[in-house]
Parts: sequence; structure tokens; C-alpha cells
Amino acid sequence: MSKNNTIIEIKGLNHWYGNFHVLKEINLETRRSSCVVICGPSGSGKSTLLRCINGLEVFKEGDVIINGKSVSQCFHNHKELYKLRSKFGMVFQHFELYPHMRVLDNITLAPRRVLCLSKNEAEKSAMALLEKVGILEQAYKYPANLSGGQQQRVAIARALAMNPDILLFDEPTSALDPEMIRDVLKVMADLAKEGMTMLVVTHEMGFANAVADEIVFMEEGNIIEHDDAVTFFKCPKSNRAVEFVDRILVHI
Amino acid sequence: MIFDVIFRNIHLLLSGLGVTFQIFILAWIGSFLLGIGLGVLRLSSRKAIYWPVTIYIQTMRSIPLILVIFGFYLLLPIITGKSMPSLVSAVISFIVFEAVYFAEIVRGGIQSVRKNLIDAGYSTGLSYFQVMTFIILPQAIKNMIPSIVTQSVVVFQDTALAYVIGVKEFLRITTLVNVREVRSIELYLFAALVYFCICSFGSLLARRMEKRYGG
Repeated sequence: MSKNNTIIEIKGLNHWYGNFHVLKEINLETRRSSCVVICGPSGSGKSTLLRCINGLEVFKEGDVIINGKSVSQCFHNHKELYKLRSKFGMVFQHFELYPHMRVLDNITLAPRRVLCLSKNEAEKSAMALLEKVGILEQAYKYPANLSGGQQQRVAIARALAMNPDILLFDEPTSALDPEMIRDVLKVMADLAKEGMTMLVVTHEMGFANAVADEIVFMEEGNIIEHDDAVTFFKCPKSNRAVEFVDRILVHI
Repeated sequence: MIFDVIFRNIHLLLSGLGVTFQIFILAWIGSFLLGIGLGVLRLSSRKAIYWPVTIYIQTMRSIPLILVIFGFYLLLPIITGKSMPSLVSAVISFIVFEAVYFAEIVRGGIQSVRKNLIDAGYSTGLSYFQVMTFIILPQAIKNMIPSIVTQSVVVFQDTALAYVIGVKEFLRITTLVNVREVRSIELYLFAALVYFCICSFGSLLARRMEKRYGG
């Protein structure tokens, strides 16, 4: 892994919620344009890891280096922190669309306020993004009038609208009906193909198998296994990963 | 006719009602805006902001309004070195006092908005101020509308207390008319009726909004 191709570098990351040690000495490097799937049982710290990477969570120890820039250095400077976060797009389990705004306004809010684009420019690129995720006709509706799958695709468009270097997905399909999952996974697979750097927390092992370059398996705040996808599914090294993959594959 | 005294003095009474509305509107705008500010600041995680605001809110909630009105009436001239019209002094008192109640409504309203939406806003690079202005407050205010209308009715009733420092608002005028006419039962009944009608209208409005916005 050549140094200049590394986009995220996590070094000795530790985090606690109160007394609970959520992340224990995490070390991880991610290459530009790779799609990394993070899996593991609930409560293993996967979501917290994502939130530490884009500075939503102020972690206690260690550091995350994004494009050579230290995240922990930004904690003392709000402006820097906001700038850092704007380089990421994040997609949440429950979509988190702004309910009082139309789809179009959900997408253009940050480009207009953070990147200072004009209303016209922002709306033009928002429409292009909506077309890309296949829901152009929903632009003028409110989120409450959309299906879960459509809402999640709006959320992806909203994340893309900031032209992020990295996309973070936090269980993007866990709250969706089975037939809607496919639409969302399709959009994500297309993004991965285009070379977007993606970190995806998911239980969709089908997606992991087909799209991911690397798999990170976590348990109780530790990274148990970190492999390329082929190795992980063919011959996982740790017993826990074997069990986990077995259980999930049987379930499918 | 029993109520002829009211018809005879209606222009005076209406002028008093005009002053009451003037106080109400100024006090309402001021205390609502100050209330939003205080409500937002009270949610700050910084102790240097949280504590002064919390102490201010608790203090105001523990003092009778009438003392605040007297306090400003007596202290403002000393502090500023100028005599202050009693109307101005009353409006200032109402603003600093009622803002505290709006602040608590605002705080509750903000806390009623999904916390994850804040993260969603942050994750796109918006600042704290922008997340508040564009995402949280618009929804919070919608949730707060019924409580705001109810509190506004209280503010309207409270304006009658400007009486004590001689502001010629509705109740004061009623009293002055009574001094001349000595028809206290009719006059005060009429005053009560006016307050009742205006405040009932406000309460009705609050109930309808509650239905419309689903409380």
C-alpha cells in the first residue's frame, strides 16, 4: 500500500462512552477509490468508528489522518472541523432527511450555505444527482411522501451534492423493506464502480461479496480481521469471522 | 341604561386598549426574540454560557413580575441617569421577564427535534449556527406554536400590570374613568369582558393550531 494512495489512516484510535470502551486501539488504512465494508455484531463499534472518522464524534485517544490532515487537530477549531466534515458524505440508517424541506431543498442546503453556490447552480446539480439515483420525479415532494428506498436515495444524493472525497454509509439498508434494498445497493455499487472511496457499515454480505474491495470485521471495539474481500469470504482467518460469515450466509 | 357609562367613555377606553396592544406587541416581539436566544444558549455545552443563562432564567422565574416592573421603573433612571417614560420601562420589564418563559418553550421545542438531524446537518459541513437556523429551529418552532400562543395570551394579561407604574393602558384608563364616573361595577365588568374575549380568542387559536400541527 503506497503512502500517497492512502486517503484515511487511523492510528491507535480509542474512544469511550462514559466508562464503556467502544473503540480499542483501532489501526486502519484505506486506499483512495476503495470500497471497504465494515461488518460485525451490533454494538461492536462500527458506527462509532465512522463517526470518529468524519469528526462527528470527538474521540479521546489516537488520531485519524484524512488526506494527510489530522482530525484531532480540528477539534479545537470549529471552522476547520466544519471544513473537514464537508469533505465527507454520510448516509444514515434512518435517512435523516430534513422533514420540513422538499427533496430538492434537502440536497441544495449545504451546497448553498457551505460552498456558497447560487440557488440556480445548486438546483441544477441537485437535479442531475436525483436523475443519477433514479428519482428525478420526486424533486418537489416532501420526504414524508416518499418510500424508504426513495428517501435513502435522496440521502445519498444529498451526501454527493457536496462533492465529497469519501462517502460513509451507516447501515444504509437496515431500515428498508427487502424490495427497496436492491435499489439502494444498486446506487451504491455504481458509486463504487465510479471510483468513489466508500466505507460501508452493513450486514449485506451479498453486497460485500460483490462490491467490496476489503472487509473489516469488528467485535467488541476491536478489529478482529481485515482482509481483501475474496480472502475474507473464502478463508477467513479468525474463528469469530468464520462463525459470523457462516451465520449470515446461512441466513441468506 | 346601565352600560351608558361605557358608551360615553368609549373613546378613552379604546385609547387605553390601544396602549395595551402597543405594550403587548412590543413586549411580545422583544421577549420572543430574546427567548429564542436564551433557549438556544441554555442548551450550550459550554459552562460559561450555560450557567449565566440558567441562573438568569431561574432568577426571573422566582421573582413576581410586579417586582420586576417596579425594579426597572426605579432602577433604570439611576443607571442611565435619565428619566424613562413609564411605558418604555414597562416594555423593558415585560421583555426581560416573559423572555424566560419563551426560552423554556424554545428549549423544549429544540429538544423535541430528532438529534440525528443535527448530525445529518453537521455531516454535510454546516456550522452549529446554520444547523440551528435552517434545520432545527424551523421544526422546533412548528412544534412550539401551540405553547407560544398560550404563553402569548399570558403576556397579554400581564400587560395589565403596567398599571402599577402609571402607564395609561386599558386597566388604568378604566380606573381613571371610574374616578370620574364612580360606576365601578359596570366599568370593571366591561374590562373583564374585554380581556376575556381577547384571551379566549387566543386560546381558541392555540387549540386550532394544536390540531393543525398535531401538537
